[in-house]
Amino acid sequence: MLGIKLPHWRAILWGALVAILGVVLLGTVFVFSGLYNVAASARHFDISNALIRLTLRRSVEMRSLSVTPPGDLSDTRLARLGARHFALGCAPCHASPVSAQSPVAAGMYPAPPLLTEAVETWRTEELFWIVRHGLKFTGMPSWPAEERGDEVWALVAFLERLPGMSERDYAALAGTELAPGAADFTFAPTADTDRLVAACENCHGNAESAPVHPLAPPLDGQKQPYLERSLREYAANRRQSGIMEAAAGELAPEAIGELARVFAEREAPVTVKPGERDTGSMERGAAIALDGVRGDDIPACRSCHSVSTSGQFPRLGGLPAEYIMTQLELFRAGVRADSVYAAIMAPIAARLSDEQIRDVAAYFAAAPERGEEAAAR
Amino acid sequence: MRPGTMQSVAMRPWRLVGGGLPAACCLRWSCAALFSSLLAAGCSGPQSALSPSGVEALHIDPLFWTATWTGVLVTLMIVVLVAVALYGPPPWRAWLGRDWIVIGGGIVLPILVLTGLFVYALLVMQAGALRSAQAGEDTITVTVTGKRWWWEVTYATPQGEPIVSANEIRLPVGRPVRLLLESDNVIHSFWAPQIAGKLDMIPGRTNEVVLEATEPGVSRGQCAEYCGGPHALMSFFVIAMPEEDYAAWLAREAEPGAEPDTPQAAHGQEVFFENGCGACHRIGGTPAQGVIGPDLTHVGSRHSLAAATLPNDAEAFARWITDNQHIKPDNLMPPFRQLSAPDLAALAAYLDGLE
Repeated sequence: MLGIKLPHWRAILWGALVAILGVVLLGTVFVFSGLYNVAASARHFDISNALIRLTLRRSVEMRSLSVTPPGDLSDTRLARLGARHFALGCAPCHASPVSAQSPVAAGMYPAPPLLTEAVETWRTEELFWIVRHGLKFTGMPSWPAEERGDEVWALVAFLERLPGMSERDYAALAGTELAPGAADFTFAPTADTDRLVAACENCHGNAESAPVHPLAPPLDGQKQPYLERSLREYAANRRQSGIMEAAAGELAPEAIGELARVFAEREAPVTVKPGERDTGSMERGAAIALDGVRGDDIPACRSCHSVSTSGQFPRLGGLPAEYIMTQLELFRAGVRADSVYAAIMAPIAARLSDEQIRDVAAYFAAAPERGEEAAAR
Repeated sequence: MRPGTMQSVAMRPWRLVGGGLPAACCLRWSCAALFSSLLAAGCSGPQSALSPSGVEALHIDPLFWTATWTGVLVTLMIVVLVAVALYGPPPWRAWLGRDWIVIGGGIVLPILVLTGLFVYALLVMQAGALRSAQAGEDTITVTVTGKRWWWEVTYATPQGEPIVSANEIRLPVGRPVRLLLESDNVIHSFWAPQIAGKLDMIPGRTNEVVLEATEPGVSRGQCAEYCGGPHALMSFFVIAMPEEDYAAWLAREAEPGAEPDTPQAAHGQEVFFENGCGACHRIGGTPAQGVIGPDLTHVGSRHSLAAATLPNDAEAFARWITDNQHIKPDNLMPPFRQLSAPDLAALAAYLDGLE
């Protein structure tokens, strides 16, 4: 009636089939011929670029919805811990207030963004998600220990402060004044022991300065075999810490023994001053540590963790409560479970309640290591 | 007697079956022969309720046979009556249909038989309860606590200092021993078939049973209430011994653990303390005072390891220390796989020497 003859539905179907086959054929020829140029020096079309970036941003936005920041990211100690990892692990690619992007990193495509500027385009939760999970096909790695969200937040706490940060503020946060040099500080195999010790002390502190954050325990006076084993386990990804795996992975095998010896020979500190003690919690913790809890099948911590036992069992007296709690929770959750020693501790940690973990940590944070209690056990 | 040999038979009752499977087991007689030999195998051995060697078990034994033979007679009677009802001559069948036969055989007889058995069972139970009530000053009191998955055995002594052992119960022949049965986790059940009946161990309460062995010998007991994955690996030995031997054993048991007598065992003792074993285990006379795992003061003299799961020798100690989570999954002891081979051998030698 209108004078237009509608195509028969069969013809439409055939047309579509031929079109699909054609696309598949062309695509196959394109892929196998090697026509596509994967060179980093050959840029994407603008439209491809825009599409990829949109996909990336939407993916990060959507997937970071479930992320909830912990209490207080403005804690300077947290930012200082994050800054020290940033200087070692991130600055070479992403630049820092005191160092430019490495020319090698600048040659990547996409080039790692200069974080002194790019941080502001992401929300806190999005930064956390990116640092923890990395980004496919961009060269951005995931956090070496994906279970250690607590460490990722340290880095995010630092990143939040990064835009517009002065060189002086950065040096103070990252502790670069402790080890002056072009590359901030280093765990590279070529470094001599003094520089390596200084690099460790940059986070873990020494007799004069406290650790930057309780997550980095003081090392002075720790047992040598335990320190050696810890570094080896970090390097082999058998103990989980994005920060320590990065540092220990660079150490030469002989440097591990040397560092362990240096720190083991020092006198152990006591980190909790009398005024800060929660005596109720400490007394409950002391009961668990010295006698165990029979009804809960919890053995006395001091039976293994004292100066007279195996060098592989760490000394705990004077370690920060927050560190002890974090490690017990990692044992309890089955995260720290990849060594024969973890196989001993994990089932015991699994019997501890939250409150017992708090009490035991409070006890050890203030416990003397070379005192009568230790000798008695 | 070497514990290992008896143990292996106890663990593998099929070893007691003479010969293997008959080649032509489809033949009726072979099947019957196999069945009866299996039956015979199940009826003997260290864990059999049918070879009683305790006063309680001797009471239970005739009850068992009475109930069994009553059942057999009733069954035979029914079979005969059914045969008569189906194939008997008409006068017999008519006789079977009378009212008084139906009332007498279907109501009166069962009531009489079941009431009789019931009263008999009550009398046997009452005898046990009476013995518990009669337990006097000179009765030995032993507390048996069900653990995951082993038995803690505590002997009260006149001196007041209890003697703690595990996974075996020693009885002086001819003297009643009062067992207090407890549990600190789930419900277990104590059953030493040759000595007495079974009784549950219930968290939060104490059940009592009196054991009295009638002759010396070693028998085996078993947890008789499902209590978790390794329930089947929760067994124990009962060792009935002459009174004077028992007294000597108890006196030795009260002594502190033996000092290591070889350089290797002395090294083993160091390994024991360096690795914190004393956190869970006690060895009398040493700083090891743990109460979570079994008391090891005289562990080398026991009949088995791990609640009658392993023989008691140095090799088994080493296996248990490193591989206990495979031998008895989910038991409370962590595996200690960090020990070097010489350290492990030394530790095993030390423990084996604690006799």
